[in-house]
Amino acid sequence: MFNGIRTGAGFRRGAQQEMERMMTQSLRENLNLVSDPQNLNQSVEEVFHMMLGASCYQVQETPFEEPETITAVVGFGGLLSGACVFRSSSSAALEIAGRLTGMEFSEIDDTVKDAIGEVCNMLAGAWKGSVPDLSANCGLSIPAVITGSNYHIHVQAPEFRLHHMYRFDQTTFAVTIICDGLQ
Amino acid sequence: MSEMRVLIVDDSSVMRKIVERSLRQAGLDPMVVLEAGSGTDGLEVLQGQSVHLILSDINMPSMDGLEFLRQIRGQNLAPGVPVVMITTESSEEHVKQAILSGAQGYIRKPFTAEQVKERVLPLLAAAEGR
Repeated sequence: MFNGIRTGAGFRRGAQQEMERMMTQSLRENLNLVSDPQNLNQSVEEVFHMMLGASCYQVQETPFEEPETITAVVGFGGLLSGACVFRSSSSAALEIAGRLTGMEFSEIDDTVKDAIGEVCNMLAGAWKGSVPDLSANCGLSIPAVITGSNYHIHVQAPEFRLHHMYRFDQTTFAVTIICDGLQ
Repeated sequence: MSEMRVLIVDDSSVMRKIVERSLRQAGLDPMVVLEAGSGTDGLEVLQGQSVHLILSDINMPSMDGLEFLRQIRGQNLAPGVPVVMITTESSEEHVKQAILSGAQGYIRKPFTAEQVKERVLPLLAAAEGR
């Protein structure tokens, strides 16, 4: 009986490993789909339209309006590892948090950080949801938020990186998808 | 509609406020909102108070939304009370897990107030009719 249970569990583990191997292979074969820049644009537009009632569009890379910036990071784990990174100037963050909550903000307080973390969380979820194989097999971390000036985020040799800048009202923000591995 | 008591469980206070605003826009007013920042806090609320509706995130520190749901059903803490998951996780697998754990509804973030209304009101009507 115990042997039977062990054998059954072993079979299930084996089948699961085989399924994960096939999905990874499928993800690698469809890397162009996973890294399709349009998926990111659609995800960003969807989140801003549905949650902020605002439109935004991709623009050429430009420097932020001010040195003080806010960055939110949501990690990916599972079949794909990496992160979704949102970055904007402080004034853009105040504007986005205001639109999201219906409140007015004059400084980057905990509520603004929470709001920007949630925006990043929804962007990460919408982006991975746009790729069927990733949707169920890639988990999201709790958002982390960083504020300050003159800091850089370094990732060593990612498998791929999407970096887009968007205009929202009179401000801009950047969204970066970093994939540092397909497990 | 008589005064509703709603429990909103999400580690983001901003998201709890957005969900509350969407419920009010859906017509749930007057409404008493109870908030919890994790599944553990949500269970504590339910041990002391009764509610008509529970909305919960899934990805939360300390106790995630699915475990919270299993605990509610396992401990029979809110019998007959509809639970709706509101989450960025949108795969069929996540929906299946939520339904198997005892959720009656599922709303994917990002969402509109209209979507909240469409998912929540029929559940409340059905619960009231039981």
